[in-house]
Amino acid sequence: MATTFDAHTEAAHAPHDDTHRLSFAERWLFSTNHKDIGTLYLIFAVVAGVVGGVLSGFMRWELAEPGMQVLPWFTQGNIDQAYHLWNVFITAHGLIMVFFMVMPALIGGFANWFVPIMIGAPDMAFPRMNNISFWLTVAGFVLLCLSMFVPGPPGGNGAGTGWTVYPPLSTSGHPGPAVDLAIFSLHLAGAGSILGAINFITTIFNMRAPGMTLHRMPLFAWSILVTAFLLLLSLPVLAGAITMLLTDRNFGTTFFDPAGGGDPLLYQHLFWFFGHPEVYIMILPAFGIISHIVSTFSRKPVFGYLAMAYAMVAIGFVGFIVWAHHMFTSGLSVNTKMYFTAATMIIAVPTGIKIFSWIATMWGGSLRFPTPMLWAVGFIFMFTIGGVTGVLLANGGLDTYMHDTYYVVAHFHYVLSLGATFAIFAGFYYWFGKMTGREYNEFLGKVHFWLFFVGTNLIFFPMHFLGQQGMPRRYPDYPEAMAGWNEVASWGYVVTAAGMVVFFLNVAASLLAGRRAAANPWGEGATTLEWTLSSPPPFHQFETLPDFTRRAPAH
Amino acid sequence: MSVLARTRTAWAAFGIAAAMLGLAFASVPLYRLFCQVTGFGGTPQVAAQGPATAPGPVAGTRIRVRFDGNVRRDLPWEFRPVEPFADLAVGERRMAFYRAVNHGDRPITGVATFNVTPERAGRHFVKVQCFCFNEQTLAPGQAVDMPVVYYVDPAILDDPEARGVEEITLSYSFFPVPEPRQPPSIRATDMAAMRAGRPGA
Amino acid sequence: MTLTLASVVRALRRLGLAGAALAAPSLAEVPAATPPPMPADLVSGPAAADPVTAPVPAYAPLKPDPAVGQPQPWGIDLLDQVTPVGRQALAMVHGLLNPVMIGISLLVCALLVWTVVRYRERANPVPAKFSHNFRLEVTWTTIPALILLVIAVPSFRLLAAQYSPPKADLVVKVTGYQWYWGYEYPDYGGVSFDAVMVDRAEAARRGAPYLLETDNRLVVPAGKTVKLLVTAADVIHSWAVPAFWVKMDAVPGRVNETWFKVDRPGVYYGQCSELCGTKHGFMPIAVEVVPEQQFLAWMRAKQAEQGIPPSGPGIAAAGLAAGTTPGA
Repeated sequence: MATTFDAHTEAAHAPHDDTHRLSFAERWLFSTNHKDIGTLYLIFAVVAGVVGGVLSGFMRWELAEPGMQVLPWFTQGNIDQAYHLWNVFITAHGLIMVFFMVMPALIGGFANWFVPIMIGAPDMAFPRMNNISFWLTVAGFVLLCLSMFVPGPPGGNGAGTGWTVYPPLSTSGHPGPAVDLAIFSLHLAGAGSILGAINFITTIFNMRAPGMTLHRMPLFAWSILVTAFLLLLSLPVLAGAITMLLTDRNFGTTFFDPAGGGDPLLYQHLFWFFGHPEVYIMILPAFGIISHIVSTFSRKPVFGYLAMAYAMVAIGFVGFIVWAHHMFTSGLSVNTKMYFTAATMIIAVPTGIKIFSWIATMWGGSLRFPTPMLWAVGFIFMFTIGGVTGVLLANGGLDTYMHDTYYVVAHFHYVLSLGATFAIFAGFYYWFGKMTGREYNEFLGKVHFWLFFVGTNLIFFPMHFLGQQGMPRRYPDYPEAMAGWNEVASWGYVVTAAGMVVFFLNVAASLLAGRRAAANPWGEGATTLEWTLSSPPPFHQFETLPDFTRRAPAH
Repeated sequence: MSVLARTRTAWAAFGIAAAMLGLAFASVPLYRLFCQVTGFGGTPQVAAQGPATAPGPVAGTRIRVRFDGNVRRDLPWEFRPVEPFADLAVGERRMAFYRAVNHGDRPITGVATFNVTPERAGRHFVKVQCFCFNEQTLAPGQAVDMPVVYYVDPAILDDPEARGVEEITLSYSFFPVPEPRQPPSIRATDMAAMRAGRPGA
Repeated sequence: MTLTLASVVRALRRLGLAGAALAAPSLAEVPAATPPPMPADLVSGPAAADPVTAPVPAYAPLKPDPAVGQPQPWGIDLLDQVTPVGRQALAMVHGLLNPVMIGISLLVCALLVWTVVRYRERANPVPAKFSHNFRLEVTWTTIPALILLVIAVPSFRLLAAQYSPPKADLVVKVTGYQWYWGYEYPDYGGVSFDAVMVDRAEAARRGAPYLLETDNRLVVPAGKTVKLLVTAADVIHSWAVPAFWVKMDAVPGRVNETWFKVDRPGVYYGQCSELCGTKHGFMPIAVEVVPEQQFLAWMRAKQAEQGIPPSGPGIAAAGLAAGTTPGA
């Protein structure tokens, strides 16, 4: 046990660390430290989240009542341009939230911060590649924002193609360069994510502390390992598809153009071969975070560790063979639909294992409910609601009605806006003290939770009703009969936005005047390695590697 | 833990990513092949030319083949079947005509794509000769009749999925080809062989 | 706000009623205006009237019923279904999926509430240490799998029903354009027209919901199997009518087919359901389902209007005089 890592010795090294020798540019622009890059990713995700959230604010404002009231402000009253601007907003909102908010927060932020620490590694395998990943993502975001201000379709600026960028709308329907910029944006973000995935896989496979076998690895590290493989297998397919889109647009190829023997449906197949794993890329790290938080505040080990780990592997695997359920109305044959119906429903089984295992982790525990635990419990319930509507949508015959309606919008916001985002906030509060060295304000954190919880439910639950009434997605206006629930949803946005104001107040107040955070503020339930380090951890942790060859780590 | 091991893992991971990228591009020909072989997406079969290819009518069977014609919006053509449908026996070889008229004021070259519905009938619908194999150039105001020779493969009677199909729709969509690469004339030579004296040529 | 909206809706409806009464006789008025009164079971087909001797019923556009085929204020449920497939699917949602979804959500909610209350720190200061229970894990793997199997049976049955249409009585070609729909009846000499969304005033005049009504409606006979051949001429669109449980993408370069058989005359609305550019939200679908004789009368009038000689199934037998003008 003599070689076992000791927090106090490590903390004692802190004053000698490199931070004092680094200029601002060296530390934050050319950063190679996984914690600094993680911090950069988190700040970036917050900025992108605000942009994406403001866009959705204008969308909800426009939908607050029938008619066009809000978007024409941006177009000098031109209604047709306002309609197009709506499409630009939904496209940007989707792409930003997926590629520049959820993924950077969960993978770039939390995983960069905590995967090396949790497996007992001093840093990521390729620190400079890590830096490249981050700046590629930033460049992608800048391009996406720029694309909103350059010509797209005749008479309008920006790409109004939806995040799916289906041709021919994205080719012959958008002659201007906006779609090219959006494609480049995805190229850069995708390249950054692929490099990140390679980095995580190499780190997790090669840099675990002695004795930290894969089956002893914390579940968050497991979730990132599976996520990294999903990224590695799916993102190149997207890259290929949008590259073909790009050459179709600019160099006269006809991969997806029927005029030259191409098929627009092939793009849909390729996109969703990426797109479906992508939704698991967004939710698996969330699963990992929730497992740790539930275990910590139950003061009980995670129930069914191996089942939890392999459920994620199973979800990741099945995620690759269900893509065409996004194309149920595109004219598939009955056999194809039956297969994709069955394969899709199978995903409910490992997902159910996870939900019940979290509850079993809490069962018999000694539960405390600081802010992160509120988010975690909220996640479990909200994700369940998003999950069961997914079972309905999996049925090809039923999806005929639901496809491209607000029912689908409600479904994927329950798993993303109330799922992944809840987990991001859970992780943020859980690790805030660890990352910043300051304690967040518990009261404000709880106010934030309750406002966000009530607000997002107000936004998204009525969308089930609107979808069942037949309201299609991506519509800037609707018949009078749909006014009621749309207005409720828009008020929900106001409540959510109020919650976000509280969040930013909390962050500001805590950073400026928060109490100093202890190394482990959560007590005996917090067993992973990050809690053995000081808060914030030293610039370089684990100068002496922790050794688990004789003592198994808790997970 | 060594640098070598890390590099090896990273290259392996990079190789997986590169392979997936390659697969994405390979999917274009693979998808086309898959559709042609299985009839996926309602892709009809193409038979080698020659009079002996059709199996001959199967007595007592009746199936309706419906013809459908479309033009893309920026192609100023009119394009529709001469007859909306034909009733025939399974296995019987038939010829149908589509009429195309160029309403534009300049010669335009178009190319047709095609599919059949219901999708499960695709692999049993056989085209022997078709104008869709070539680009078609029409002079302003020119009208042509374009022939298709086809039959329904008797194998459809043994296919549990497609057995109940009573009507098959054969659909063509004409798209403009960006620039006419040859002087305006009908270049479908096989067509000329099949049908002398085409109108308007 | 809510009250205002409701009153606006009511006001619009009143306006619509008045407008439609001025413009054209509504369905309710047809029997009075056209002797002999139309039996309600005309739906059952041409056998209902002697094709040679029966007088020709004039066609009059139907007035939409605000309770059918369109969204309801504060509505929360799926729309009432008027096709056999739709009713089968609706029964599956109401009878199986909704109970399963609500049941699982309530179960998870109840378990969470119970653990939160029972195992909170004050009630249970010393945590248990267990982290495995093989039997439990097997249970919560197999039971959901069994539930999914139970769902799969009617699900496959529904898919099979959707893909085994009866022999088509009418074929309609549907083409999506930016941003309207084109309809063609290939078996009736190629009668064709476009359906463009009408403005607010015209919608009110017809007593129809704004954003859902089109200048020309797709008119089809009741009780007949209608096959749609769906395609598009520019970008991908999607033809959808919720009350029929029908949605089919319109993809340029290929034709897709779908079908419906509506037993109840009425006007049913739908909207384009695949993002197709600027006015994606403004190319609605209005389907008018009328008794067959009315359909033939309408068709004959359309043929006369478009200079197409009387042709097509049922036209000759119906003994319709040429030159009948459409109702509106």
